[in-house]
Amino acid sequence: MRYRIGLAALLIMLTVLLSSCSSTENLGVNWHGLLTQFISFGILVALLLFVAYKPITKMLDERSNKIKESIDQAEFVKQQVAKTEQMVQEQLAQARKQGQDLIAQAAQIGERLKEEARQQARQDAEAIVARAQVEIRAERDEAIDKLRGEFVEIAILAAEKVINKALDKETHRQLIQKTLEESTKLKKGA
Amino acid sequence: MPKLGLKGKLLIGAVVVIGLIVIGGMFFPVSQPTIELSPNYGGTQPAPFATLGPFYITNTFIAAWISIITLGVIFFLGTRKMKLIPKGLQNLAETVIEVLLNFVEGVAGKENGRRFFPIVATIFLFVLMNAWLSLLPVFNVIGRGGPSTEVTNNLFHTFLPSIFPNYQGFVVSVPFLRSANTDINVPLMLALVSFLCVEYWGTTSLGVRTYLGKFFRFGQLLQGMGQLFKGKAKAAISTILYGAIDAFVGALELLSEFVRIISFTFRLFGNMMGGEVLLLTIPFLICWVFPSIFYGLETFLGLIQAVIFSVLTLVFAVMAVSKPEAEHEH
Repeated sequence: MRYRIGLAALLIMLTVLLSSCSSTENLGVNWHGLLTQFISFGILVALLLFVAYKPITKMLDERSNKIKESIDQAEFVKQQVAKTEQMVQEQLAQARKQGQDLIAQAAQIGERLKEEARQQARQDAEAIVARAQVEIRAERDEAIDKLRGEFVEIAILAAEKVINKALDKETHRQLIQKTLEESTKLKKGA
Repeated sequence: MPKLGLKGKLLIGAVVVIGLIVIGGMFFPVSQPTIELSPNYGGTQPAPFATLGPFYITNTFIAAWISIITLGVIFFLGTRKMKLIPKGLQNLAETVIEVLLNFVEGVAGKENGRRFFPIVATIFLFVLMNAWLSLLPVFNVIGRGGPSTEVTNNLFHTFLPSIFPNYQGFVVSVPFLRSANTDINVPLMLALVSFLCVEYWGTTSLGVRTYLGKFFRFGQLLQGMGQLFKGKAKAAISTILYGAIDAFVGALELLSEFVRIISFTFRLFGNMMGGEVLLLTIPFLICWVFPSIFYGLETFLGLIQAVIFSVLTLVFAVMAVSKPEAEHEH
């Protein structure tokens, strides 16, 4: 406020000084005119401030803000899109990996099942073979026993006929049996 | 007879009108203008049209108010219904203001630019509008006057004096409209506004002490005196010498602040008055067509003067608010 009073005083001083010079009057310097023009200019400043400077600077600022905002928003949307895309890619990659895992797992399971089946089959086969062998052996043994019995009978009969003498049957049997046991190749369980 | 279209009729009409003007102008030469340095403020000049207390209604006052109203109407219509996407007159108003605002902000920075802008822009628009409106043909030629006291030299009188008498034209002594820039009170008022605003901005930005310190630089001189009293004569001499130069430079700057008022005033007044005299004089040397070149020149000149006035105000304002460089301290 102090400045303004000081400047107004300066203005009045200058105006009086300029108007009082007789040489300036010929140029048309006139305090009435000066005052009138001062007021006109003041009104013009106020008028333009009201109809031009304030609304237009406000509008320009508003527009530049709006543009800035739009650019920021566009940037944000762009970032968001990029982020989403990345997320989708990640999800896709994850899904792909999961799928591959599943397939691998399934293949593994299949492999195991096959292996198991193979194992089972081998075991079964071996069991069958074993059983068959046991049976065969049992039959063979039986056959050998039977054969041996008959052979003994035949041998005794043959010997009776040869020597025509009744042998102590029991003693002979034991003798032959013993011999057979020692000599024959038809061993039981061989 | 071939039927003429609207275009043809207009063309023929224009040719007839131009012909009449040319031929009529030869019979009735344009009246001599009166060139007065001062508008009608009374005293040795013609009396003003009216007086409202201390306000004198002169031809320049009317012209100034036409400029003010024109500017007001253009910007009022341009900013009446502001839209985010400008159209028509809003575009024009915004372009003008934006160009000025960008320029002022570019020179003075954002914060100071907004402070200086209303004054700088108003000076520009007012000077420009005054200069351009004064190029309208209604300026200077309509007004009070009477028959010329001097005889106008008529070309036809030279060859056929009996048929063509010398023509004593009507002389406008007090035109109703006269370019406001040619009234010295307008440039003076603008110079004073510029001066006062510069001083105001300077003092409010830097403070009275710092601002006045730009002009009253006695620090070094006093320092030198002190050294002299302490007996350091050798150091004192150079300090006093530089101090004296510094004080002188400060005084020169103070003087130049006031000289600016004069230079501002007479630059604008001289240019505008000169332009006006040129435009009034040229038709008497070579009439028709040729003066229009000078109208183009004056259009350009008005713009230049408006730019110079506002830009100088801006530059002085920027200089006033800038901190004084501590040159004398090292």
